[in-house]
Amino acid sequence: MTTRDTIITVELDDPAGTFTLREICERGECHAEFVIKLVSYGVISPVNDTPDTGDWAFDLQALARLRKAQRLQRDLKINLPGLAMSLDLLDEVRDMRREVDRLNRLLAHFIAD
Amino acid sequence: MDFKDYYAVLGVSESASPEEIKKAYRKLARKYHPDVSKEEDADAKFKDVGEAYEVLKDPEKRAEYDQLRKYGARGDGSFEPPPGWQSASGFGGGGYTEADASQFSDFFEEIFGGGRRAGGFSGAGFGGFRQDTRSRGEDVHARLALFLEEAYHGCEKQVQFTVHEVDDHGRIVARPKTLKVKIPAGMRDGQHIRLKGQGAPGIGGGDNGDLFIEVELAPHPMFTVEGRDLLLTVPIAPWEAALGASVTVPVVGGKVNLKVPKGSNSGRKLRLKGKGLPGKHPGDQIVVLQVVMPEQHSEEAEKLYQQLAEAEQHFNPRSKLHV
Repeated sequence: MTTRDTIITVELDDPAGTFTLREICERGECHAEFVIKLVSYGVISPVNDTPDTGDWAFDLQALARLRKAQRLQRDLKINLPGLAMSLDLLDEVRDMRREVDRLNRLLAHFIAD
Repeated sequence: MDFKDYYAVLGVSESASPEEIKKAYRKLARKYHPDVSKEEDADAKFKDVGEAYEVLKDPEKRAEYDQLRKYGARGDGSFEPPPGWQSASGFGGGGYTEADASQFSDFFEEIFGGGRRAGGFSGAGFGGFRQDTRSRGEDVHARLALFLEEAYHGCEKQVQFTVHEVDDHGRIVARPKTLKVKIPAGMRDGQHIRLKGQGAPGIGGGDNGDLFIEVELAPHPMFTVEGRDLLLTVPIAPWEAALGASVTVPVVGGKVNLKVPKGSNSGRKLRLKGKGLPGKHPGDQIVVLQVVMPEQHSEEAEKLYQQLAEAEQHFNPRSKLHV
């Protein structure tokens, strides 16, 4: 077992932190058509909404979402419309879980008092 | 090495039909998919389910597995294949497993081994492992949990993850890697950061992959985080609500004085500008007032309340209930 300890400094809001269509395809190991379809279904969005796909720039969130979409498609055999709906519902579930958590803690304040 | 009961993993009987096995797999895959499930060990369960399905869906592998299952585990649950055991079916990949075969258990590797050689995969997950061409290393994705205080002030954290690389024998091996990462102040829940070149090593002189870290903020006992804003419920006394007051409230890493306006109700929100998570556009701290009563009143206080009731007898707090 090899272990390396290195100090890495993270830089945020790095302008180089976006990907072109070609780069996001390389990272996601998928065809451009797949990414274009995900954009058309609203699953991911370029940060600059231009009609020319050659000018598209995707941020890290888009890449993470693309990977998630791929995993769901690969593991659960979901088609594109189903994928778009699943991801929307998963987002909604996540937001609602957070809201329930927040309200529960707020409620705990009132009950404790 | 422990024996793995793939039938138990999928919750099916030994005589289950291929259709029943597929159905059980699909149901459990949905239940334990790491992108869907919130269970702590969902990742491990999902891998187990995938491994079980990989074996049971294939008639050849299933027959071999059934044979070994009869041979059985030892009394202590450990398992060794019979001397000279060699799988006829081997590992050919297929379905979901193309991407995650290297993460199958030692038990699987021992029985159906030989599937972890570089070049054996053409699936989506390991496109980087081809020895004969120059290619970029695999990107690695990890999660990092931070306390609110750590996200607010910035911190140094140790991140542990696994990279897949090709060893001298051309086999894909998983290597644990540890990095100390300096996290800047102001990280938000769900934010992704990229560490260039910290993923799996490139092949044939190709670039290293990147490490992507998704930040998760642990729930805080007092503050709730909404984007860059921090929400805090602050209890105030009825007279503070009625007359207005200057009260001390906590902020992350300190405290400030807050002016409660006269006539404030429970639920009123007051904004402390710039006291949320720091950044180019720092968030705010939003204070939610909560009027609380003392557990007991003195006789004098009760008399004062009596006077108050007489002075405010036209006030109907239940007017919206039409009573």
